[in-house]
Amino acid sequence: MKRLLGVALGILTAIGGFVDIGDLVTNAVVGSRFGLSLVWVVAVGVVGICLFANMSGRVAAVSGRATFEVIRERLGARAGLANLAASFLINLMTVTAEIGGIALSLQLASSVDYLLWIPVAAVAVWLVIWRVRFSIMENVTGLLGLTLVIFAVAVFLLKPDWGALAGQLAPTVPQQETFWSYSYYAIALFGAAMTPYEVFFFSSGAVEEKWSVKDLAQSRINVLVGFPLGGLLSVSIAVCAAIVLLPAGVSVTSLSQVVLPVAEGAGKLGLAFVLVGMVAATFGAALETTLSSGYTLAQFFGWSWGKFRRPAQAARFHLSMIVCLLVGMAVLATGVDPVLVTEYSVVFSAIALPLTYLPILIVANDPQYMGEHVNGRVVNVLGMVFLVIILVASIAAIPLMIVTGAGS
Amino acid sequence: MTSASAPLPRAPKVGGRILDAQLHLMDRQVLDHDGVPVTTVDDLEVSGPALDVEIAPGSPAPVITALLTGSVLGTRIFGGRPPSSRLIRIPWKDVAEVGVVVRLGVKGEPLDASWVERWVRDKIIARIPGGSHDPR
Repeated sequence: MKRLLGVALGILTAIGGFVDIGDLVTNAVVGSRFGLSLVWVVAVGVVGICLFANMSGRVAAVSGRATFEVIRERLGARAGLANLAASFLINLMTVTAEIGGIALSLQLASSVDYLLWIPVAAVAVWLVIWRVRFSIMENVTGLLGLTLVIFAVAVFLLKPDWGALAGQLAPTVPQQETFWSYSYYAIALFGAAMTPYEVFFFSSGAVEEKWSVKDLAQSRINVLVGFPLGGLLSVSIAVCAAIVLLPAGVSVTSLSQVVLPVAEGAGKLGLAFVLVGMVAATFGAALETTLSSGYTLAQFFGWSWGKFRRPAQAARFHLSMIVCLLVGMAVLATGVDPVLVTEYSVVFSAIALPLTYLPILIVANDPQYMGEHVNGRVVNVLGMVFLVIILVASIAAIPLMIVTGAGS
Repeated sequence: MTSASAPLPRAPKVGGRILDAQLHLMDRQVLDHDGVPVTTVDDLEVSGPALDVEIAPGSPAPVITALLTGSVLGTRIFGGRPPSSRLIRIPWKDVAEVGVVVRLGVKGEPLDASWVERWVRDKIIARIPGGSHDPR
């Protein structure tokens, strides 16, 4: 049982990356417009995040250093600050979106306007960060978020034509879409899989749980269970949309359309599961991104941090998270669409992605940090290949966003 | 001034470990005696003659006198130099060990480098209910 619960960190991290509010909608959009022709991108992204999350977990377990300390130490103050600015903005935008996402999910369940749920959601997130133990937090949100597996169940209950579905898997641009919007969504999916806050959260979580060299196997299990599961959830949302929404010609614009296929396939019970899952997943993502904001700032400036300390012993860390939540609430109070907010965070990934993964790769090869646990040759080759992919994706992100009008 | 062709004198032999200030000190995390993070090494203060003064032969090699933190980070990134009185110093004699992190031999709590942390704690965080609650 302990082993089983031990993967909660990986699961929570992956849920925040793969099925947060922005991805819930993006996956359904992708499924309803491109069918399954972008599934390969998720597969590539899962391999990439497994590779680098495992590296960052190993660095944290062996040397006790979380990822942003490593980034500052290797890149120096200037490039480190550029990464901090970009990563922090991604975090802040995602925090904002997730609080809105919790509110939207609660609106779907209760029919009470989402603007009224926003303060409730923000205070709930803060209370958990302020008071709840890290292990309880990750176990509860991780396990509840797993109810999103209902999307995968719904795929079977919808009894699709499996042959036709498999035929869509080939990476080709559908007739009614342009190459540019296809590429834009490919990068959005890849960026969602590789969002930097996942490694910040995962490595800091490893420090919070006081992992050491003994826990390297645990770290690997976390990575190999958590991220593929996140990828599976993200793909099954797209498949659901491809089965139900694509033939009907529905273009997804809101969260209620995302759950439509589940309601059709799995009925009321399925709908109940999906609502619980969406609240838990957005809540988990809100926790992950809020904590990541605190982790990145504290680790860059060398402040005392961590939920394992009393809040008074990590004062600036807790203050910065309170400020983030307040800013998020203020932005949402303007009535901005929460889903739209995450889509624009793709722009900042352009700076943050390469500047995050390069230092991890360098330090994972540094014997001063790692001793005998430095990267093997295969991991290094794969790491270099992925750095090239990341660089291409990050350079292409902004031009594609402008050309396609953010995918519309 | 020696001519460019004359060979430089050999560097004096040193005992112990050689550290590269840029690689092993700058931007490393500083932990206090109990393992609590204090700050990051934002810059170093080195003794020795002023910038424009001609160095007399035989003058002693400069040594690191303090780790710097605070506003010096801003000037290091964006240029400029804060006046000496505005630097927050951690004297080099307080440094106990240099490894993956820089470890101090003293408690971090009373240091000048911790004043912002103390202020935020006493004025804000400790006043919110539950601020001193031990999560474990």
